[in-house]
Amino acid sequence: MAEAKRERTERRRGFLLALPSFAYMVLFFAIPLIIVLVYSFATRTSTGSTSLSDWNFDAYRKLGEPIVRNVVVRSVILALVTTVICLVVAYPFAWFCAHQRQTVRNVLLVAVMIPFWTNFLVRNYAWRILLSEGGPISSFTEAIGLGETDILFTKLAVVIGLVYAYLPFMILPLYASIDRLDRRLVEAGRDLYGSGPQTFRRVVLPLTMPGIIAGSILVFVPSMGAYVTPELLGGGKETLLGSYIVTQFLTARNWPVGASLSFVLMAVMLVSTVVYFRSGGKNL
Amino acid sequence: MSRKPIHRLPAWALRTNGAVVLLFLYAPIILLVIFSFSASRIPGQWGGFTAEWYATLFDDSRLQRTIAVSVRVALVSTLLATVLGTMSALALERFKFRGRRVFDALLYLPIIIPDVTMAVMMLMFFSQSFSLLESLFGIGLSKGFATIVVSHVAFNIAFVSVVVRARIAGMDATLEQAASDLYASRWQAFRFVTLPLIAPGVLGGALLAVTLSLDDVVVTQFVAGPGSTTLPVYVFSLIRKGVTPTINAVSVIMLVASLILVAGSVGLQRANASRGRQQLRTSGGNS
Amino acid sequence: MSAAVSLRGISKLFDDVTAVDNVDLDIADGEFFALLGPSGCGKTTTLRMIAGLELPSAGSLQIFGEEVGSLPPNKRPVNTVFQNYALFPHMSVADNVAFGLRMRKVPKSEISTRVQEAISLVRMSGMEGRRPNQLSGGQQQRVALARALVNRPKVLLLDEPLAALDLKLRQEMQFELKQLQREVGITFVFVTHDQEEALALSDRIGVMNDGRLLQVGTPEEMYDAPVDRFVADFIGRSNFLKGTLESPDVVCLTNGQRINVPAVDAVTVGDEVQVSLRPERVMICDVDTAPDGVARLSGIVDSETFLGNSVVYRVTLDWMTIEVETDHRPDLERHHSGDRVDLWWRDDAVAVVKP
Repeated sequence: MAEAKRERTERRRGFLLALPSFAYMVLFFAIPLIIVLVYSFATRTSTGSTSLSDWNFDAYRKLGEPIVRNVVVRSVILALVTTVICLVVAYPFAWFCAHQRQTVRNVLLVAVMIPFWTNFLVRNYAWRILLSEGGPISSFTEAIGLGETDILFTKLAVVIGLVYAYLPFMILPLYASIDRLDRRLVEAGRDLYGSGPQTFRRVVLPLTMPGIIAGSILVFVPSMGAYVTPELLGGGKETLLGSYIVTQFLTARNWPVGASLSFVLMAVMLVSTVVYFRSGGKNL
Repeated sequence: MSRKPIHRLPAWALRTNGAVVLLFLYAPIILLVIFSFSASRIPGQWGGFTAEWYATLFDDSRLQRTIAVSVRVALVSTLLATVLGTMSALALERFKFRGRRVFDALLYLPIIIPDVTMAVMMLMFFSQSFSLLESLFGIGLSKGFATIVVSHVAFNIAFVSVVVRARIAGMDATLEQAASDLYASRWQAFRFVTLPLIAPGVLGGALLAVTLSLDDVVVTQFVAGPGSTTLPVYVFSLIRKGVTPTINAVSVIMLVASLILVAGSVGLQRANASRGRQQLRTSGGNS
Repeated sequence: MSAAVSLRGISKLFDDVTAVDNVDLDIADGEFFALLGPSGCGKTTTLRMIAGLELPSAGSLQIFGEEVGSLPPNKRPVNTVFQNYALFPHMSVADNVAFGLRMRKVPKSEISTRVQEAISLVRMSGMEGRRPNQLSGGQQQRVALARALVNRPKVLLLDEPLAALDLKLRQEMQFELKQLQREVGITFVFVTHDQEEALALSDRIGVMNDGRLLQVGTPEEMYDAPVDRFVADFIGRSNFLKGTLESPDVVCLTNGQRINVPAVDAVTVGDEVQVSLRPERVMICDVDTAPDGVARLSGIVDSETFLGNSVVYRVTLDWMTIEVETDHRPDLERHHSGDRVDLWWRDDAVAVVKP
């Protein structure tokens, strides 16, 4: 029957259209991913090469050792601090944006988007200059009588850099969910004798939760895996997960440990996105 | 709109917070530009106006080589990723086919995967496949321009596809049906109706791909070979050695390049938004 | 002469859901035909199968005797006016209208004259350079018509062509559409859920429900002699009296009363039927003043509603309630709540319908 034939032709067309990128993604993405998985179960030989003949969980077991554990804990804490700061700063800002006239709102949103499009390395480098010894911030604090500040190559510098890098990721989803919020619900909350803070906690906060979760994932996840920012602003003193993985590959040549850590990092991302979608989020 | 503030924060606090956020976002960039014209040898200090650091860029042949590599990588990988990404967006939005869900999920991964993981994947893949090719066929390959392009395409297909899909999803599918009702073949309907209408999305995806390609340090660092370093990787290694006024100048050049891309994408979004509004108006009154 | 459009045993399944169920239909050349039904009844799917946008799961579909059931839309001699017009937003009015001719590689000089003709036919001259988004809803509708008619299709298909317009414009466009059809003489097949629109515009109507084509006929036939309860209910309003068909022209109502009805052949004697009785065809009068030789029922006026040009009574019998609509005229007696009245009608005022 013609109907079935057309259906088959359509399916074949779709498949052929997808085939080049499908093949590309399998070859240059899925297979590399599998290789990493396989390597995370391999053993590092005494010469620094990797033996695939001996399968075990040694690399994962190593993640429990104090050195690695410290790196993981430090990364989680820094990423959490970054996320909380972004949330606290971005929520009022997104609220402010959503309650402006259309034109002002558009200008503000573009203003948030521009740094996001600006070269990542340059944005980190700018803070390197700002925070440098005798640099603008230090001179400023000295001028107002607070003395020189020397925060470059500290955890604080890393957090500043991460907040700077990922703040737009928090603002945009928050803005989207606040903008979607039906203002009449807020008025209904007030009408039903809720005080301002009560209405906020019981009406606004739950309704904007998808934005909060999306923004938090979008900030927390790349912060966990950050490499450039801690290298430039932490000066390599504060080793984070990203730098530690890179070291395992480029310096220590311990591929199994690097592979297992990369895999754990990716698993964290996957779990958080799945949690987000399960919690009713639509898009990131 | 509710006039009563429903939050404890008064209006002035909101406004101050807004100003601080904008200052925080823009001050570093602006200061970087200012200091790039400072005559002081110390990059964070003002020592009078000079443009000499920009002049030194022209003498640095290593720098010029890396810029050339970056531009070539960005162009080639963007072209490939845009074609492949647009094809997959069309397939996913307009067709049903076997393996569609797997493909959809596979295209989602590069967006959420951390840079470092992606870098590790590509490094291991190339070293494994190169040694395999060597042992099987005696073909000796090494990392360089091609491996960078392959890696950039691998993450950019997904980003292009997301942007283009959003555009296709917003396009009325009956327009394609109208075209075929008016005697257009499948190809003609695509060429004269679908493509012009999704073009802003395709262009937007391409701009994103260029930006991401020029942004990438980690993946490129892992898959670059000697002599094929890109500008960001080169600058990154310079900064790690120590900051110099020359890096200020290079950074400003990179900044200008990304601002041009921003202008392109913001302009594109505005064009899309106004067209979207018009379309909304014309179809107004329908249920 | 073969029909313009001929459907034989056409069915369409989407997965396992039957959207169109075994439809037989002949639409004559030059006819203005309406497919009428509630949303989801399969009328749009039927139209899309004629256009080629969907292929039938079973059955044969001919256009002027040529089997087209398996052809793609671009190979069929029909054109469609889509519900939201589907004008190409990136093309001017002229380019929209020229699109079909260009696709068919019509010579350039001919294209420009035919485009001009089509645009002036729908009275849009001077608007050639405009973009669709610069046009009002009514103007877009005309461009959509011109874009389809310029190709001189053998059949023009219209999917809810007026649904997107507001009431006043809709009435204007109804008139224009009818005139346009007479002018070009092409077969029009249009889909609507608006019974008034169908009655006003079409030469014949086909009513669909649940994927089935229930009845086809002229607007008068559909109104006066519905064969299905759904048709009687969907086109106009009606009272339904339950009963059993005793002989081809006698129904025994549930209260035991026998009434004469126009002879039917679609229903088997002995079957349960309903008798459709239009409110305006029922007469109301004081008790025992009905003329002889007519069917009559007695009841009590439950309510009266004054509507300006008419009065609607709800009359309660002991076994059902009947709605009666009379003209509002000084020579007609008014009845009031609680009055005992008789209702009567002539034998040809009713229609036997399948329940």
